[in-house]
Amino acid sequence: MTNQVGAVTNVKPAKKKKIPSLDRKKSRAGWLFVLPFLIGLVFIYFPIIWESISYSVCNYTISNGIVTKEFVGFQYYTKAITGDAAFAKSLLTGLKEMAFDIPAILIFSLFIAVILNQKMVGRAAFRAIFFLPVVVSTGIMESVMSSSYGASGGSMDLGMEGAGAEGGGDAEVQVQTSTAVEGLLISIFGGLGFGTGLVTYISSAVASISGIINRSGVQILIFLAALQSISPAIYESCQIDGATSWETFWKITFPMVSPMILVNAVYTIIDSFTTDSNSVMMLINDTYMGVQEGSKNISAAMGWMYFLVVLAVVGVIAAIFSAYVFYQRRD
Amino acid sequence: MTQNMDKKPTVMRESKNKIRVDFERTSLKERLKTKYLSAYFAKNVLWYIFRLFLLIGVAFVILKPFYTMVMRSFMAPENFVDVTVVNVPRAFSAIIYKAIIVDLEYFKVFFLTLALSLGCALLQTFACALIGYGVAKFKFRGAKIVFLLVIITLAIPHGTMQSAIFYRFQHLDIFGIFNFLAGGARTGIEGIDAILSKIKILPESFVGGISTIRSVVPILLMSITGLAFKNGLYIFLLRQFFRGVPDELEESAYLDGANTFRTFVQVILPLSIPMLITVFLFAFCWQWTDDFYIPLFFTGNAPALMTYLPAVDQIPITLATIYTQVTHSDGGYKQAIVYGCGLMACTPLIILYLFCQRYLVQGIERSGIVG
Repeated sequence: MTNQVGAVTNVKPAKKKKIPSLDRKKSRAGWLFVLPFLIGLVFIYFPIIWESISYSVCNYTISNGIVTKEFVGFQYYTKAITGDAAFAKSLLTGLKEMAFDIPAILIFSLFIAVILNQKMVGRAAFRAIFFLPVVVSTGIMESVMSSSYGASGGSMDLGMEGAGAEGGGDAEVQVQTSTAVEGLLISIFGGLGFGTGLVTYISSAVASISGIINRSGVQILIFLAALQSISPAIYESCQIDGATSWETFWKITFPMVSPMILVNAVYTIIDSFTTDSNSVMMLINDTYMGVQEGSKNISAAMGWMYFLVVLAVVGVIAAIFSAYVFYQRRD
Repeated sequence: MTQNMDKKPTVMRESKNKIRVDFERTSLKERLKTKYLSAYFAKNVLWYIFRLFLLIGVAFVILKPFYTMVMRSFMAPENFVDVTVVNVPRAFSAIIYKAIIVDLEYFKVFFLTLALSLGCALLQTFACALIGYGVAKFKFRGAKIVFLLVIITLAIPHGTMQSAIFYRFQHLDIFGIFNFLAGGARTGIEGIDAILSKIKILPESFVGGISTIRSVVPILLMSITGLAFKNGLYIFLLRQFFRGVPDELEESAYLDGANTFRTFVQVILPLSIPMLITVFLFAFCWQWTDDFYIPLFFTGNAPALMTYLPAVDQIPITLATIYTQVTHSDGGYKQAIVYGCGLMACTPLIILYLFCQRYLVQGIERSGIVG
């Protein structure tokens, strides 16, 4: 990346124009590449955010069709923290849930992706099945799958069959079985001296496996794409040097997919924080629907505080992970 | 094996130019023994069995709700009032599917949604690749801030900004220029307002910005600027991938006289096909099943899109008479119709995935560099 390359081209001594260096040219090109995003930010996104923020710090009054904003300071923020004890509480529970879920989802999805990347009979079919959670996780399919809760009743067992492990009607049964499974696992492995923390973690991960599977669809697909981008030549040379598959995984596969581990960690955090089934999100939505005065503003204030918390968590996790991320390039 | 090596093969001359070599082969038993009674083979078999069990187990968890959906949507109507029938139909019938195809105009819905989803997904994939490449490979001032903004757009759920998004696209404007040129700008001071309202460069409809509601413009605009549903994820994903692409590739392309954009299209994009396919699949899928943006932007008279297929407010006409006969089935029949719609909505996605996954194969040489 020397300046010579740029300097040789288009030399016009007559005009005395400053010749841009290659680095300058490249930085200009960089701006061009992100230009669509910047345009979108300035013309679409920032106004939306501005509107949303001003909702949390202003009072809106509509008279004669003219909307007037009145700045009222951060009173809705203090109301959101002090007025509703549930907010701070569910924020803490949400953080705890996340600390549990993220390692489980990341390990599971990487494991499944490695398996789905191997050659085997019926690989396409298995891949298609593991793609289903991506389809089901959002939008109309989510509502179709969850619509069975409401319809259950009478002799119909729709709630139980349609909803998987998170079903409404059979929630009690589910809890009983999962605690039974947990108890069994703890009694089996507890005596082996693994340490109670690990045993409880694994047993509760097994008990909530259905939720983990259904939330890993995107991550599996991302890992799969990452695995396919690893050059087979590296594996070949490893084989020639006599590395076992265990060594190959830790020395080649793991570093090569580590950029995507960062992506998946960040995505999993954001996804688990911002799905509608998250307890804080439910609280925010409930507050938005609330009837008392200023509930919409409080909801917006909650949303922004929550967003800052999410961003802080993402920042911490990303900082930890990016220390270990390996990029195949010289710097 | 080594003892067999000691025995020399017998060579016989059959004709002038032809010889026949006979050597004692290791017996079949011996060969099978060495092949199948090794630790290597046992390890492989164990791994295969474990892998198969694991995959089948996980697939079972995923497919379990689908089993109910398929069974109930194919159930004959009389089974819904039969208490003894729970999930396995006693009689099969496809009338629900016939009603979906004929009454709900499935094919019209299909092609409309296909056009919209394909357009959006391609735009999003390309835009996100551009943006991701920009933040990954160019060291310009503010690159990190742009990337932080990408993460912020991902982290703020659009659901919480619903009304703000709607308002924005109802009054789309560039810093109030349209509003000003149409004479809609107000300052609150009477004299200036009178002058401002005289400006009539643009027609009256531009007052308060352009309304892009009830069109595909908002969705397309969000797609091309990388702001649509979860686009932050795609940008992040592609950025991480592009960061791993060695700089030597681009440098050699520059030396060959290609500019940055051409390098991007002809050198970088071809080697990131698995990533691009993955992003395309996400974008297509989530646009296909979207039930947030379309109802938000198409208030009232909406086109026949997949979004509205499972939201059956009224029972399809051909099923109406049957429905009245089985209404006391606790809404089970309506549920079955919804299931049928859901399956019809997601089947094309599975077919698309099966088609696309052929390109998700290992073996694309990424580095292209020796040494």
